[in-house]
Amino acid sequence: MSTDVEPAGVVDDESFFRTLVEHGSDAIISIDADSTILFANRSVERVFGYEPAELVGEPLTVVMPERFQAAHHAAIAEYVETGERTLDWNDVELPGEHKDGHEVQLSITFEEHRYDGKRVFSGIMRDVTDRVERERKLERQNEQLERFAGILSHDLRDPLNTARAQVALAKNADDPTEYLDELERVHDRMGELIEDVLTLTKQGQTVGEPEPVSPRAVAEEAWQTVGSGDATLSVEDVGVVQADRERLRSLFENLLGNAVHHGGDCVTVEVGPLPADDGFYVEDDGPGIPAEDREDVFDYGFTTDDGGTGFGLNIVESIADAHGWEVTVAESEAGGARFEFAGVRLGADDE
Amino acid sequence: MSTDSAADGSLDHDAPVVLVVDDEANVAEAYALWLPDDYEVRTATNGERALEEADEDVDVVLLDRHMPDRSGDDVLERLRERGLDCRVAMVTAVDPDFDIAEMSFDTYLTKPVDQSEIRETVDQLLDLSSFDDRSRQFFSVSRKIGALEDEKRASELSDNETYQQLCERRDELSEELDAAVDEMDDDGLEAAFRDL
Repeated sequence: MSTDVEPAGVVDDESFFRTLVEHGSDAIISIDADSTILFANRSVERVFGYEPAELVGEPLTVVMPERFQAAHHAAIAEYVETGERTLDWNDVELPGEHKDGHEVQLSITFEEHRYDGKRVFSGIMRDVTDRVERERKLERQNEQLERFAGILSHDLRDPLNTARAQVALAKNADDPTEYLDELERVHDRMGELIEDVLTLTKQGQTVGEPEPVSPRAVAEEAWQTVGSGDATLSVEDVGVVQADRERLRSLFENLLGNAVHHGGDCVTVEVGPLPADDGFYVEDDGPGIPAEDREDVFDYGFTTDDGGTGFGLNIVESIADAHGWEVTVAESEAGGARFEFAGVRLGADDE
Repeated sequence: MSTDSAADGSLDHDAPVVLVVDDEANVAEAYALWLPDDYEVRTATNGERALEEADEDVDVVLLDRHMPDRSGDDVLERLRERGLDCRVAMVTAVDPDFDIAEMSFDTYLTKPVDQSEIRETVDQLLDLSSFDDRSRQFFSVSRKIGALEDEKRASELSDNETYQQLCERRDELSEELDAAVDEMDDDGLEAAFRDL
């Protein structure tokens, strides 16, 4: 672009512009109408991991996640043919693909100019990965908070109503003992609900720094808390997994506690490695989980028992998720419940 | 409507009849205890039993939603199918969702409830029986809006068509009622609805 009023000086000096473009903190890539890269500035290395020279002559799609490539070609064809812009050219947020394969969140502004009689399109790209990740994290936290607010308000309403009813009946009774006993039970239940919600809140969707942990040792520890009577725990060597020890313990406490609760005092619980060596299982010889319920057992609030809060397996699932493990429910050979945790990185047990 | 006991000590045959339905027996019993002694109170701890206890004499039903086997929503539907024109208050820990717009209850109480809430609600519903159909509709629609406004965020409400329709319906009914009130110059009716 040239006008008659341009002042003399730096504007006449081409190296001024070259330096400006080369060393700006935003990555700049220019392409022709066929999406072949004509120019890339120094900052592309910081954003995409490529040397500028590696990119020149390559198709633009090398820095684009595959799922956006078709849309890009269609958009540019449409624009070249009709002049219609299919998306906003200013501050569009799109992911790019780094040389090592991970995605980079970008805020992109598009420009067009003519050079040597040809149309040239440029993208000026700012790496906003950190901001986008912060936003996503906040969004997740908000969703979680909302969920807990819902759980608390909803699930405490019912027992609170029952408690009020017990008080009314106790006041009116000659012997209030029966109602007071019931009141105590209701209060215990509300206490458990609050504990469980707190546990879930603290577990969140993330785990602390994982350390090498022996599931065998942790399961035996958990058994000290929840095992009872003639119930038996039999643990095979599972090796060592990368896990947050405290949460793994909470996972075992919930599973083993469930097995004892539903399987009775004589239940046998077994912990062992999966055949594919990519995880471990926890199974019992109790009554098992009916096939039609298996999809729902991890849902918050699922319980077959008046005394249960319905949080236990929800906690188990959130701990597995947070570690990146995949949890499934099946039937044990003895017809009891079997929980499998796959996608676990195992090492030898040196403990 | 009379709230006095008959002279011989038996329940006045004009005494209000309230049917209390909750799967927790103690809860149903407590609601019964909270109502005036001279009301006839029937209790039912499941939906099936509720349908047996419901008849032409019942004036008001306090109805839990979440019950095993037959839900309160289902009971409500059956009552209306049978043509029973009693007033119904849902009394429940279930958060009201937009589907309540389609349900034919008169008011929605969210647990926990206390004595004054139960008494006020029952008395309001008993009074409502003497009003015409339009007034009752206005009451019911206003209560549905109130229940949703207590539960939902403003953004959820403004985006929801069902909620908008309820509000439009309320405004229509309100205008019609205003016109009727002007005609009759009935201060009583106006007063009755002023604080809805």
